[in-house]
Amino acid sequence: MKDGWARRLGDEIAQALNVTLKDMRVYYLRPGMIMFGFLMPFFMFFSFSVRREMAAAQGVARLLALTTFFTAAAAGPFIVPLERRLGTYDRLLAAPMSLLTLLLGKTAVGALFAIGVSLFALLVGVTVFGVYIAQPELLVAGLLLGSCSFSALGLIFGSIPVRNPGDVQMPSTLLRWGLLFISGVFIPLAEMSPAARLLAYLSPLTYAQDLMNHAVLGVGLLNRWLDIVVLLVSGMLFLLPSIWLHHHSRKLGY
Amino acid sequence: MDIRVQGLTKYYGDFLAVDHISFEVHQGEIFGFLGPNGAGKTTTQRMLTTLLEPTEGRIVINGHDLARDPYPIKRQMGLVPEESNVYTELTAWDNLMFTARLYRVPRSERAARARELLETFDLWKKRDVKVENYSKGMRRRLSIAMAIIHRPTLLFLDEPTPGLDAQSTRTIRGLIRQLNDAGTTVFLTTHQIEEANQLCDRVAIINHGQIAAIDTPERLKQAFRRVQSVEVALDPPVGEGLEALLGATTVVKMGDKWRLYTDDPSTLLFQVMDYARSRELRVVSLSTLGPSLEDVFLEITGQQVGAVRRTDEQAGKRRGRRMKR
Repeated sequence: MKDGWARRLGDEIAQALNVTLKDMRVYYLRPGMIMFGFLMPFFMFFSFSVRREMAAAQGVARLLALTTFFTAAAAGPFIVPLERRLGTYDRLLAAPMSLLTLLLGKTAVGALFAIGVSLFALLVGVTVFGVYIAQPELLVAGLLLGSCSFSALGLIFGSIPVRNPGDVQMPSTLLRWGLLFISGVFIPLAEMSPAARLLAYLSPLTYAQDLMNHAVLGVGLLNRWLDIVVLLVSGMLFLLPSIWLHHHSRKLGY
Repeated sequence: MDIRVQGLTKYYGDFLAVDHISFEVHQGEIFGFLGPNGAGKTTTQRMLTTLLEPTEGRIVINGHDLARDPYPIKRQMGLVPEESNVYTELTAWDNLMFTARLYRVPRSERAARARELLETFDLWKKRDVKVENYSKGMRRRLSIAMAIIHRPTLLFLDEPTPGLDAQSTRTIRGLIRQLNDAGTTVFLTTHQIEEANQLCDRVAIINHGQIAAIDTPERLKQAFRRVQSVEVALDPPVGEGLEALLGATTVVKMGDKWRLYTDDPSTLLFQVMDYARSRELRVVSLSTLGPSLEDVFLEITGQQVGAVRRTDEQAGKRRGRRMKR
Protein backbone atom coordinates (compact mmCIF):
# COMPACT_ATOMS: atom_id res chain seq x y z
CA MET A 1 0.00 0.00 0.00
CA LYS A 2 2.79 2.32 1.03
CA ASP A 3 4.74 1.34 -2.09
CA GLY A 4 1.64 2.11 -4.15
CA TRP A 5 1.41 5.62 -2.77
CA ALA A 6 5.13 6.21 -3.13
CA ARG A 7 5.00 5.05 -6.72
CA ARG A 8 1.97 7.20 -7.41
CA LEU A 9 3.69 10.23 -5.88
CA GLY A 10 6.77 9.56 -8.00
CA ASP A 11 4.59 9.30 -11.09
CA GLU A 12 2.81 12.55 -10.31
CA ILE A 13 6.08 14.43 -9.79
CA ALA A 14 7.48 13.02 -13.03
CA GLN A 15 4.29 13.98 -14.89
CA ALA A 16 4.31 17.53 -13.54
CA LEU A 17 7.92 17.84 -14.67
CA ASN A 18 7.03 16.37 -18.05
CA VAL A 19 4.26 18.95 -18.52
CA THR A 20 6.61 21.76 -17.47
CA LEU A 21 9.41 20.74 -19.81
CA LYS A 22 7.02 20.30 -22.71
CA ASP A 23 5.49 23.74 -22.14
CA MET A 24 8.95 25.33 -21.90
CA ARG A 25 9.84 23.91 -25.31
CA VAL A 26 6.51 24.72 -26.90
CA TYR A 27 5.64 28.14 -25.50
CA TYR A 28 8.68 30.04 -24.24
CA LEU A 29 9.52 31.41 -27.65
CA ARG A 30 5.94 32.17 -28.68
CA PRO A 31 5.37 35.89 -29.43
CA GLY A 32 2.69 36.14 -26.72
CA MET A 33 5.08 34.94 -24.05
CA ILE A 34 7.93 37.15 -25.23
CA MET A 35 5.65 40.19 -25.39
CA PHE A 36 3.75 39.78 -22.11
CA GLY A 37 6.36 37.83 -20.19
CA PHE A 38 9.72 39.22 -21.25
CA LEU A 39 9.33 42.68 -22.75
CA MET A 40 6.44 44.00 -20.68
CA PRO A 41 8.22 44.16 -17.28
CA PHE A 42 11.17 45.97 -18.86
CA PHE A 43 8.85 48.43 -20.61
CA MET A 44 7.09 49.03 -17.31
CA PHE A 45 10.36 49.52 -15.49
CA PHE A 46 11.78 52.02 -17.96
CA SER A 47 8.44 53.86 -18.26
CA PHE A 48 8.32 54.56 -14.55
CA SER A 49 11.99 54.78 -13.70
CA VAL A 50 13.68 56.85 -16.41
CA ARG A 51 14.63 60.40 -15.35
CA ARG A 52 13.93 59.67 -11.73
CA GLU A 53 16.58 59.87 -9.11
CA MET A 54 17.18 56.27 -8.11
CA ALA A 55 20.18 54.27 -6.97
CA ALA A 56 21.13 51.31 -9.17
CA ALA A 57 20.44 48.86 -6.35
CA GLN A 58 16.99 50.31 -5.82
CA GLY A 59 16.32 49.99 -9.55
CA VAL A 60 17.44 46.36 -9.56
CA ALA A 61 15.23 45.52 -6.57
CA ARG A 62 12.28 47.13 -8.36
CA LEU A 63 13.06 45.40 -11.64
CA LEU A 64 13.33 41.99 -9.94
CA ALA A 65 9.93 42.44 -8.32
CA LEU A 66 8.51 43.46 -11.69
CA THR A 67 10.01 40.54 -13.60
CA THR A 68 8.93 37.91 -11.09
CA PHE A 69 5.46 39.39 -11.01
CA PHE A 70 4.73 40.24 -14.63
CA THR A 71 6.58 37.37 -16.24
CA ALA A 72 5.29 34.65 -13.94
CA ALA A 73 1.69 35.80 -14.19
CA ALA A 74 1.84 35.99 -17.99
CA ALA A 75 2.16 32.26 -18.65
CA GLY A 76 -1.14 30.87 -17.37
CA PRO A 77 -3.50 33.25 -19.22
CA PHE A 78 -1.59 32.64 -22.44
CA ILE A 79 -0.90 28.90 -22.41
CA VAL A 80 -4.02 27.26 -21.00
CA PRO A 81 -6.66 28.97 -23.21
CA LEU A 82 -4.42 28.38 -26.23
CA GLU A 83 -4.17 24.68 -25.37
CA ARG A 84 -7.93 24.54 -24.90
CA ARG A 85 -8.41 26.03 -28.36
CA LEU A 86 -5.99 23.57 -29.97
CA GLY A 87 -7.45 20.60 -28.09
CA THR A 88 -4.11 19.71 -26.52
CA TYR A 89 -5.40 20.54 -23.04
CA ASP A 90 -7.77 17.56 -23.33
CA ARG A 91 -4.72 15.37 -23.74
CA LEU A 92 -3.47 16.56 -20.35
CA LEU A 93 -6.85 16.37 -18.64
CA ALA A 94 -7.39 12.81 -19.86
CA ALA A 95 -3.93 11.69 -18.78
CA PRO A 96 -3.47 9.62 -15.62
CA MET A 97 -2.46 12.42 -13.29
CA SER A 98 -4.28 14.50 -10.74
CA LEU A 99 -5.54 17.99 -11.48
CA LEU A 100 -3.19 19.33 -8.81
CA THR A 101 -0.24 17.75 -10.61
CA LEU A 102 -1.27 19.42 -13.85
CA LEU A 103 -1.69 22.78 -12.13
CA LEU A 104 1.66 22.50 -10.38
CA GLY A 105 3.30 21.62 -13.69
CA LYS A 106 1.70 24.66 -15.30
CA THR A 107 2.65 26.86 -12.34
CA ALA A 108 6.27 25.81 -12.73
CA VAL A 109 6.20 26.90 -16.39
CA GLY A 110 5.51 30.53 -15.50
CA ALA A 111 7.72 30.41 -12.42
CA LEU A 112 10.77 29.12 -14.29
CA PHE A 113 10.25 31.67 -17.05
CA ALA A 114 10.10 34.43 -14.45
CA ILE A 115 13.20 33.15 -12.71
CA GLY A 116 15.07 33.08 -16.01
CA VAL A 117 14.05 36.63 -16.93
CA SER A 118 14.82 37.84 -13.39
CA LEU A 119 18.28 36.26 -13.51
CA PHE A 120 18.88 38.09 -16.78
CA ALA A 121 17.87 41.37 -15.11
CA LEU A 122 20.04 40.53 -12.13
CA LEU A 123 23.01 39.74 -14.34
CA VAL A 124 22.71 43.11 -16.04
CA GLY A 125 22.36 44.84 -12.66
CA VAL A 126 25.39 43.13 -11.17
CA THR A 127 27.72 43.22 -14.17
CA VAL A 128 26.79 46.56 -15.77
CA PHE A 129 25.76 48.62 -12.77
CA GLY A 130 27.88 46.87 -10.16
CA VAL A 131 25.00 46.22 -7.82
CA TYR A 132 25.87 44.26 -4.69
CA ILE A 133 23.36 41.72 -3.39
CA ALA A 134 23.13 42.22 0.36
CA GLN A 135 21.39 38.98 1.26
CA PRO A 136 21.59 36.36 -1.53
CA GLU A 137 19.56 33.79 0.39
CA LEU A 138 16.62 36.20 0.50
CA LEU A 139 17.04 36.85 -3.20
CA VAL A 140 16.71 33.11 -3.85
CA ALA A 141 13.66 32.90 -1.59
CA GLY A 142 12.11 35.95 -3.22
CA LEU A 143 12.66 34.68 -6.74
CA LEU A 144 11.35 31.20 -5.99
CA LEU A 145 8.37 32.10 -3.84
CA GLY A 146 7.42 35.21 -5.78
CA SER A 147 7.59 33.44 -9.13
CA CYS A 148 5.55 30.47 -7.93
CA SER A 149 2.96 32.65 -6.23
CA PHE A 150 2.48 34.97 -9.21
CA SER A 151 2.47 32.11 -11.68
CA ALA A 152 -0.33 30.51 -9.64
CA LEU A 153 -2.12 33.86 -9.72
CA GLY A 154 -1.86 33.96 -13.52
CA LEU A 155 -3.11 30.40 -13.69
CA ILE A 156 -6.40 31.50 -12.13
CA PHE A 157 -7.06 33.51 -15.27
CA GLY A 158 -5.87 30.65 -17.43
CA SER A 159 -8.38 28.39 -15.72
CA ILE A 160 -11.35 30.51 -16.73
CA PRO A 161 -13.27 28.38 -19.24
CA VAL A 162 -12.50 30.14 -22.51
CA ARG A 163 -10.69 28.99 -25.63
CA ASN A 164 -9.15 32.27 -26.68
CA PRO A 165 -6.16 33.71 -24.79
CA GLY A 166 -7.37 37.22 -25.69
CA ASP A 167 -10.49 36.70 -23.58
CA VAL A 168 -8.45 36.43 -20.38
CA GLN A 169 -5.43 38.57 -21.25
CA MET A 170 -7.41 41.77 -20.77
CA PRO A 171 -8.76 41.05 -17.26
CA SER A 172 -5.46 39.51 -16.15
CA THR A 173 -3.51 42.55 -17.41
CA LEU A 174 -5.95 44.87 -15.67
CA LEU A 175 -5.47 43.04 -12.39
CA ARG A 176 -1.71 43.03 -12.75
CA TRP A 177 -1.63 46.77 -13.44
CA GLY A 178 -3.92 47.38 -10.52
CA LEU A 179 -1.72 45.38 -8.17
CA LEU A 180 1.36 47.06 -9.53
CA PHE A 181 0.20 50.53 -8.56
CA ILE A 182 -0.95 49.66 -5.06
CA SER A 183 2.00 47.48 -4.10
CA GLY A 184 4.85 49.80 -3.27
CA VAL A 185 6.80 49.10 -6.44
CA PHE A 186 6.79 52.59 -7.83
CA ILE A 187 5.88 54.42 -4.63
CA PRO A 188 7.75 52.96 -1.65
CA LEU A 189 5.59 51.72 1.21
CA ALA A 190 7.17 54.21 3.61
CA GLU A 191 5.98 57.11 1.46
CA MET A 192 2.39 55.90 1.19
CA SER A 193 -0.52 57.32 3.12
CA PRO A 194 -1.92 54.99 5.83
CA ALA A 195 -4.96 54.19 3.69
CA ALA A 196 -2.85 53.39 0.64
CA ARG A 197 -0.53 51.30 2.74
CA LEU A 198 -3.48 49.32 4.07
CA LEU A 199 -4.45 48.59 0.48
CA ALA A 200 -0.87 47.65 -0.33
CA TYR A 201 -0.86 45.03 2.40
CA LEU A 202 -3.60 43.18 0.50
CA SER A 203 -1.33 42.64 -2.48
CA PRO A 204 1.23 39.80 -2.48
CA LEU A 205 3.41 41.93 -4.75
CA THR A 206 4.00 44.26 -1.79
CA TYR A 207 5.69 41.42 0.07
CA ALA A 208 7.69 40.36 -2.99
CA GLN A 209 8.97 43.93 -3.43
CA ASP A 210 9.79 44.17 0.26
CA LEU A 211 11.67 40.87 0.14
CA MET A 212 13.63 42.08 -2.89
CA ASN A 213 14.46 45.25 -0.95
CA HIS A 214 15.76 43.10 1.89
CA ALA A 215 17.76 40.99 -0.55
CA VAL A 216 19.30 43.72 -2.69
CA LEU A 217 19.33 46.80 -0.46
CA GLY A 218 19.61 44.98 2.84
CA VAL A 219 16.60 46.79 4.28
CA GLY A 220 12.85 46.42 4.01
CA LEU A 221 9.89 47.89 5.76
CA LEU A 222 8.30 44.60 6.78
CA ASN A 223 9.69 41.57 8.56
CA ARG A 224 11.39 39.29 6.05
CA TRP A 225 9.67 36.23 7.52
CA LEU A 226 6.30 37.86 7.03
CA ASP A 227 7.21 38.42 3.36
CA ILE A 228 8.22 34.79 2.97
CA VAL A 229 5.15 33.37 4.70
CA VAL A 230 2.74 35.60 2.77
CA LEU A 231 4.27 34.62 -0.58
CA LEU A 232 4.26 30.94 0.36
CA VAL A 233 0.68 30.93 1.58
CA SER A 234 -0.64 33.12 -1.24
CA GLY A 235 0.95 30.77 -3.77
CA MET A 236 -0.93 27.84 -2.27
CA LEU A 237 -4.17 29.78 -1.93
CA PHE A 238 -4.01 30.93 -5.54
CA LEU A 239 -4.26 27.30 -6.63
CA LEU A 240 -7.70 26.92 -5.04
CA PRO A 241 -9.64 29.13 -7.49
CA SER A 242 -7.89 27.33 -10.36
CA ILE A 243 -9.03 23.95 -9.01
CA TRP A 244 -12.58 25.24 -8.64
CA LEU A 245 -12.56 26.76 -12.14
CA HIS A 246 -11.30 23.49 -13.63
CA HIS A 247 -14.14 21.58 -11.95
CA HIS A 248 -16.54 24.18 -13.28
CA SER A 249 -15.01 23.87 -16.77
CA ARG A 250 -15.55 20.12 -16.63
CA LYS A 251 -19.24 20.73 -16.14
CA LEU A 252 -19.35 23.16 -19.05
CA GLY A 253 -17.33 20.97 -21.39
CA TYR A 254 -14.19 23.11 -21.75
CA MET B 1 -12.10 -3.61 -20.44
CA ASP B 2 -15.86 -3.35 -20.30
CA ILE B 3 -18.03 -0.29 -19.92
CA ARG B 4 -21.39 -0.05 -18.18
CA VAL B 5 -23.34 3.17 -18.60
CA GLN B 6 -26.49 3.76 -16.60
CA GLY B 7 -28.84 6.71 -17.01
CA LEU B 8 -26.13 8.98 -18.36
CA THR B 9 -27.45 12.49 -18.79
CA LYS B 10 -25.92 15.80 -19.72
CA TYR B 11 -27.51 19.21 -19.67
CA TYR B 12 -25.77 22.31 -21.00
CA GLY B 13 -27.82 24.90 -19.15
CA ASP B 14 -31.37 24.10 -20.23
CA PHE B 15 -30.29 22.14 -23.28
CA LEU B 16 -30.51 18.39 -22.87
CA ALA B 17 -27.61 16.97 -24.89
CA VAL B 18 -27.68 13.38 -23.60
CA ASP B 19 -30.89 11.99 -22.23
CA HIS B 20 -30.62 9.16 -19.69
CA ILE B 21 -28.81 6.69 -21.93
CA SER B 22 -27.80 3.24 -20.78
CA PHE B 23 -25.67 0.70 -22.61
CA GLU B 24 -22.84 -1.74 -22.18
CA VAL B 25 -19.67 -2.25 -24.11
CA HIS B 26 -18.27 -5.74 -23.74
CA GLN B 27 -14.64 -6.50 -23.22
CA GLY B 28 -12.75 -6.98 -26.46
CA GLU B 29 -15.39 -5.68 -28.83
CA ILE B 30 -15.38 -2.80 -31.28
CA PHE B 31 -18.39 -0.77 -30.33
CA GLY B 32 -19.64 1.80 -32.81
CA PHE B 33 -21.40 4.90 -31.57
CA LEU B 34 -23.29 6.41 -34.49
CA GLY B 35 -25.43 9.46 -34.79
CA PRO B 36 -26.01 12.58 -36.86
CA ASN B 37 -24.28 15.84 -36.00
CA GLY B 38 -25.44 17.19 -32.65
CA ALA B 39 -26.95 13.87 -31.56
CA GLY B 40 -24.81 13.64 -28.44
CA LYS B 41 -21.98 11.35 -29.63
CA THR B 42 -19.03 13.50 -28.68
CA THR B 43 -20.69 14.63 -25.46
CA THR B 44 -21.10 10.98 -24.46
CA GLN B 45 -17.55 10.15 -25.36
CA ARG B 46 -16.22 13.13 -23.42
CA MET B 47 -18.13 11.92 -20.36
CA LEU B 48 -16.71 8.42 -20.80
CA THR B 49 -13.18 9.82 -20.98
CA THR B 50 -13.59 12.03 -17.85
CA LEU B 51 -13.34 15.26 -19.85
CA LEU B 52 -16.92 16.20 -19.12
CA GLU B 53 -18.87 15.79 -15.91
CA PRO B 54 -22.25 14.10 -16.35
CA THR B 55 -25.30 15.83 -14.94
CA GLU B 56 -26.69 12.45 -13.91
CA GLY B 57 -25.88 8.81 -14.33
CA ARG B 58 -23.10 6.38 -13.69
CA ILE B 59 -20.17 5.12 -15.71
CA VAL B 60 -18.44 1.97 -14.57
CA ILE B 61 -15.37 0.83 -16.46
CA ASN B 62 -13.87 -2.51 -15.54
CA GLY B 63 -15.65 -2.36 -12.21
CA HIS B 64 -14.35 1.12 -11.34
CA ASP B 65 -16.82 3.93 -10.90
CA LEU B 66 -15.37 6.66 -13.08
CA ALA B 67 -16.68 9.44 -10.84
CA ARG B 68 -14.96 8.01 -7.78
CA ASP B 69 -11.64 6.74 -9.00
CA PRO B 70 -10.68 7.58 -12.58
CA TYR B 71 -6.93 7.09 -12.12
CA PRO B 72 -6.61 3.32 -12.84
CA ILE B 73 -8.93 3.68 -15.83
CA LYS B 74 -7.08 6.66 -17.24
CA ARG B 75 -3.86 4.67 -17.23
CA GLN B 76 -5.46 2.05 -19.45
CA MET B 77 -7.34 4.43 -21.69
CA GLY B 78 -6.32 5.88 -25.05
CA LEU B 79 -8.13 8.79 -26.63
CA VAL B 80 -8.14 10.00 -30.22
CA PRO B 81 -10.29 13.12 -30.33
CA GLU B 82 -12.02 14.46 -33.42
CA GLU B 83 -9.36 17.12 -33.94
CA SER B 84 -5.77 15.90 -34.06
CA ASN B 85 -4.46 17.42 -30.83
CA VAL B 86 -0.76 17.17 -31.44
CA TYR B 87 1.88 19.70 -30.48
CA THR B 88 2.74 21.31 -33.78
CA GLU B 89 5.86 23.01 -32.40
CA LEU B 90 7.37 19.62 -31.57
CA THR B 91 8.54 16.84 -33.85
CA ALA B 92 6.64 13.58 -34.16
CA TRP B 93 9.32 11.90 -32.09
CA ASP B 94 9.04 14.48 -29.30
CA ASN B 95 5.25 14.23 -29.32
CA LEU B 96 5.47 10.48 -28.84
CA MET B 97 8.12 10.75 -26.14
CA PHE B 98 6.04 13.31 -24.27
CA THR B 99 2.98 11.06 -24.36
CA ALA B 100 4.98 8.00 -23.39
CA ARG B 101 6.29 9.82 -20.32
CA LEU B 102 2.81 11.10 -19.51
CA TYR B 103 1.52 7.52 -19.42
CA ARG B 104 4.60 6.29 -17.57
CA VAL B 105 5.76 3.92 -20.30
CA PRO B 106 9.00 2.40 -18.96
CA ARG B 107 12.01 4.38 -20.13
CA SER B 108 13.59 1.27 -21.69
CA GLU B 109 10.58 0.69 -23.94
CA ARG B 110 9.75 4.24 -25.07
CA ALA B 111 12.09 4.51 -28.02
CA ALA B 112 11.28 1.06 -29.37
CA ARG B 113 7.54 1.64 -29.18
CA ALA B 114 7.83 5.08 -30.77
CA ARG B 115 9.88 3.68 -33.63
CA GLU B 116 7.45 0.83 -34.18
CA LEU B 117 4.48 3.21 -34.32
CA LEU B 118 6.23 5.73 -36.56
CA GLU B 119 7.12 2.94 -38.97
CA THR B 120 3.59 1.52 -38.86
CA PHE B 121 2.14 4.92 -39.68
CA ASP B 122 4.79 5.70 -42.29
CA LEU B 123 6.14 8.67 -40.32
CA TRP B 124 9.57 7.34 -39.43
CA LYS B 125 11.42 9.27 -42.12
CA LYS B 126 9.84 12.51 -40.93
CA ARG B 127 10.20 11.84 -37.23
CA ASP B 128 12.45 14.86 -36.72
CA VAL B 129 10.30 17.29 -38.71
CA LYS B 130 8.14 19.67 -36.71
CA VAL B 131 4.50 18.64 -36.89
CA GLU B 132 3.49 22.10 -38.14
CA ASN B 133 4.88 20.93 -41.49
CA TYR B 134 2.77 17.77 -41.53
CA SER B 135 -0.32 17.22 -43.67
CA LYS B 136 -3.71 16.61 -42.09
CA GLY B 137 -3.41 12.87 -42.66
CA MET B 138 0.05 12.73 -41.10
CA ARG B 139 -1.17 14.62 -38.03
CA ARG B 140 -4.10 12.23 -37.74
CA ARG B 141 -1.81 9.23 -37.88
CA LEU B 142 0.48 10.78 -35.28
CA SER B 143 -2.51 11.55 -33.07
CA ILE B 144 -3.51 7.89 -33.15
CA ALA B 145 0.06 6.78 -32.53
CA MET B 146 0.16 9.02 -29.45
CA ALA B 147 -3.07 7.49 -28.19
CA ILE B 148 -1.75 3.94 -28.32
CA ILE B 149 1.90 4.27 -27.35
CA HIS B 150 1.05 3.07 -23.83
CA ARG B 151 -0.84 0.08 -25.28
CA PRO B 152 -4.25 0.94 -23.85
CA THR B 153 -6.78 -1.77 -23.21
CA LEU B 154 -9.60 0.67 -23.93
CA LEU B 155 -9.36 2.98 -26.91
CA PHE B 156 -11.76 5.82 -27.71
CA LEU B 157 -11.72 7.06 -31.28
CA ASP B 158 -13.77 10.06 -32.33
CA GLU B 159 -14.18 10.21 -36.11
CA PRO B 160 -10.75 8.73 -36.85
CA THR B 161 -10.76 8.80 -40.65
CA PRO B 162 -12.79 11.67 -42.19
CA GLY B 163 -10.78 13.78 -44.58
CA LEU B 164 -8.05 11.18 -44.97
CA ASP B 165 -6.91 9.61 -48.23
CA ALA B 166 -7.84 6.02 -48.97
CA GLN B 167 -4.44 4.66 -47.99
CA SER B 168 -4.39 6.40 -44.60
CA THR B 169 -7.97 5.31 -43.96
CA ARG B 170 -7.10 1.71 -44.75
CA THR B 171 -4.01 1.84 -42.51
CA ILE B 172 -6.01 3.22 -39.60
CA ARG B 173 -8.84 0.73 -39.99
CA GLY B 174 -6.33 -2.08 -40.22
CA LEU B 175 -4.67 -0.89 -37.06
CA ILE B 176 -7.98 -0.68 -35.20
CA ARG B 177 -8.64 -4.32 -36.12
CA GLN B 178 -5.12 -5.27 -35.12
CA LEU B 179 -5.47 -3.57 -31.72
CA ASN B 180 -8.81 -5.24 -31.21
CA ASP B 181 -7.35 -8.62 -32.10
CA ALA B 182 -4.76 -8.01 -29.40
CA GLY B 183 -7.55 -7.52 -26.86
CA THR B 184 -8.17 -3.77 -26.90
CA THR B 185 -11.77 -2.73 -26.46
CA VAL B 186 -12.56 -0.01 -28.99
CA PHE B 187 -15.25 2.65 -28.63
CA LEU B 188 -15.62 4.19 -32.08
CA THR B 189 -17.62 7.37 -32.43
CA THR B 190 -18.39 8.05 -36.05
CA HIS B 191 -20.94 9.23 -38.54
CA GLN B 192 -19.27 7.18 -41.24
CA ILE B 193 -21.72 4.34 -41.44
CA GLU B 194 -19.67 2.13 -43.71
CA GLU B 195 -16.73 2.39 -41.35
CA ALA B 196 -18.90 1.19 -38.49
CA ASN B 197 -20.32 -1.55 -40.69
CA GLN B 198 -16.85 -2.82 -41.57
CA LEU B 199 -15.31 -2.54 -38.11
CA CYS B 200 -17.89 -2.87 -35.38
CA ASP B 201 -19.13 -5.92 -33.52
CA ARG B 202 -22.07 -3.88 -32.26
CA VAL B 203 -23.33 -0.39 -32.87
CA ALA B 204 -25.52 2.03 -30.96
CA ILE B 205 -27.37 4.73 -32.84
CA ILE B 206 -27.91 7.88 -30.84
CA ASN B 207 -30.38 10.51 -31.97
CA HIS B 208 -31.51 13.62 -30.11
CA GLY B 209 -29.53 12.47 -27.08
CA GLN B 210 -31.24 9.09 -26.83
CA ILE B 211 -30.16 5.62 -27.88
CA ALA B 212 -32.45 4.79 -30.77
CA ALA B 213 -31.07 1.33 -31.50
CA ILE B 214 -28.31 -0.92 -30.31
CA ASP B 215 -27.34 -4.25 -31.83
CA THR B 216 -24.98 -5.93 -34.26
CA PRO B 217 -24.93 -4.31 -37.72
CA GLU B 218 -26.44 -7.41 -39.33
CA ARG B 219 -29.27 -7.71 -36.82
CA LEU B 220 -30.08 -4.04 -37.25
CA LYS B 221 -30.28 -4.56 -40.99
CA GLN B 222 -32.55 -7.54 -40.46
CA ALA B 223 -34.86 -5.43 -38.34
CA PHE B 224 -35.21 -2.95 -41.16
CA ARG B 225 -36.09 -5.26 -44.03
CA ARG B 226 -38.59 -2.67 -45.22
CA VAL B 227 -35.77 -0.56 -46.49
CA GLN B 228 -34.71 -3.07 -49.11
CA SER B 229 -34.14 -1.58 -52.51
CA VAL B 230 -33.85 -2.24 -56.23
CA GLU B 231 -31.05 -0.46 -58.03
CA VAL B 232 -31.28 0.05 -61.77
CA ALA B 233 -29.07 1.72 -64.37
CA LEU B 234 -30.80 2.57 -67.66
CA ASP B 235 -29.55 3.57 -71.07
CA PRO B 236 -30.24 6.36 -71.79
CA PRO B 237 -30.12 7.26 -68.09
CA VAL B 238 -33.59 8.74 -67.69
CA GLY B 239 -35.80 7.98 -64.72
CA GLU B 240 -38.88 10.14 -65.09
CA GLY B 241 -41.89 8.14 -63.99
CA LEU B 242 -40.03 5.68 -61.78
CA GLU B 243 -41.62 7.28 -58.74
CA ALA B 244 -45.01 6.25 -60.07
CA LEU B 245 -44.22 2.55 -59.76
CA LEU B 246 -46.56 1.05 -57.20
CA GLY B 247 -43.97 -0.97 -55.33
CA ALA B 248 -41.52 1.90 -54.73
CA THR B 249 -41.72 3.91 -51.54
CA THR B 250 -38.83 6.25 -52.28
CA VAL B 251 -36.78 6.84 -55.40
CA VAL B 252 -33.29 8.26 -55.11
CA LYS B 253 -30.94 9.10 -57.99
CA MET B 254 -27.44 7.84 -57.22
CA GLY B 255 -24.98 8.88 -59.91
CA ASP B 256 -26.05 7.17 -63.15
CA LYS B 257 -28.32 4.78 -61.25
CA TRP B 258 -31.65 4.93 -59.54
CA ARG B 259 -32.36 3.31 -56.22
CA LEU B 260 -35.97 2.42 -55.51
CA TYR B 261 -36.73 1.57 -51.88
CA THR B 262 -39.40 -1.05 -51.35
CA ASP B 263 -40.72 -3.61 -48.94
CA ASP B 264 -41.37 -6.03 -51.85
CA PRO B 265 -38.35 -6.15 -54.15
CA SER B 266 -39.55 -9.14 -56.22
CA THR B 267 -42.68 -7.32 -57.39
CA LEU B 268 -40.79 -4.12 -57.98
CA LEU B 269 -38.24 -5.91 -60.17
CA PHE B 270 -40.96 -6.82 -62.67
CA GLN B 271 -42.36 -3.30 -62.55
CA VAL B 272 -38.95 -1.84 -63.34
CA MET B 273 -38.51 -4.21 -66.28
CA ASP B 274 -41.98 -3.25 -67.58
CA TYR B 275 -41.07 0.40 -67.15
CA ALA B 276 -37.88 -0.03 -69.19
CA ARG B 277 -39.63 -2.04 -71.94
CA SER B 278 -42.48 0.45 -72.25
CA ARG B 279 -40.01 3.31 -72.78
CA GLU B 280 -37.61 1.28 -74.92
CA LEU B 281 -34.76 1.77 -72.42
CA ARG B 282 -31.89 -0.68 -72.13
CA VAL B 283 -31.33 -2.07 -68.64
CA VAL B 284 -27.59 -1.73 -68.05
CA SER B 285 -27.74 -3.25 -64.58
CA LEU B 286 -30.45 -4.31 -62.18
CA SER B 287 -29.96 -5.60 -58.67
CA THR B 288 -31.78 -6.00 -55.40
CA LEU B 289 -30.12 -4.74 -52.25
CA GLY B 290 -30.73 -5.53 -48.62
CA PRO B 291 -30.81 -2.61 -46.23
CA SER B 292 -27.37 -1.19 -45.61
CA LEU B 293 -26.37 0.06 -42.20
CA GLU B 294 -26.62 3.52 -43.73
CA ASP B 295 -30.25 2.84 -44.62
CA VAL B 296 -30.92 1.72 -41.06
CA PHE B 297 -29.19 4.81 -39.72
CA LEU B 298 -31.13 7.13 -41.99
CA GLU B 299 -34.38 5.36 -41.19
CA ILE B 300 -33.82 5.66 -37.45
CA THR B 301 -32.59 9.23 -37.52
CA GLY B 302 -35.26 10.27 -40.01
CA GLN B 303 -32.76 11.88 -42.31
CA GLN B 304 -33.47 10.36 -45.69
CA VAL B 305 -35.07 6.98 -46.11
CA GLY B 306 -36.89 7.66 -42.88
CA ALA B 307 -38.26 10.83 -44.39
CA VAL B 308 -40.74 8.50 -46.09
CA ARG B 309 -41.94 6.47 -43.13
CA ARG B 310 -44.72 4.81 -44.99
CA THR B 311 -47.11 2.98 -42.75
CA ASP B 312 -49.20 0.12 -44.13
CA GLU B 313 -52.16 2.39 -44.63
CA GLN B 314 -50.06 5.01 -46.30
CA ALA B 315 -48.57 2.37 -48.55
CA GLY B 316 -52.07 1.58 -49.78
CA LYS B 317 -52.76 5.18 -50.57
CA ARG B 318 -49.30 5.64 -52.11
CA ARG B 319 -48.76 8.71 -50.02
CA GLY B 320 -45.46 10.01 -48.76
CA ARG B 321 -43.68 9.02 -51.92
CA ARG B 322 -41.15 11.41 -53.23
CA MET B 323 -38.55 11.73 -55.90
CA LYS B 324 -35.09 12.74 -54.71
CA ARG B 325 -32.39 14.10 -56.92
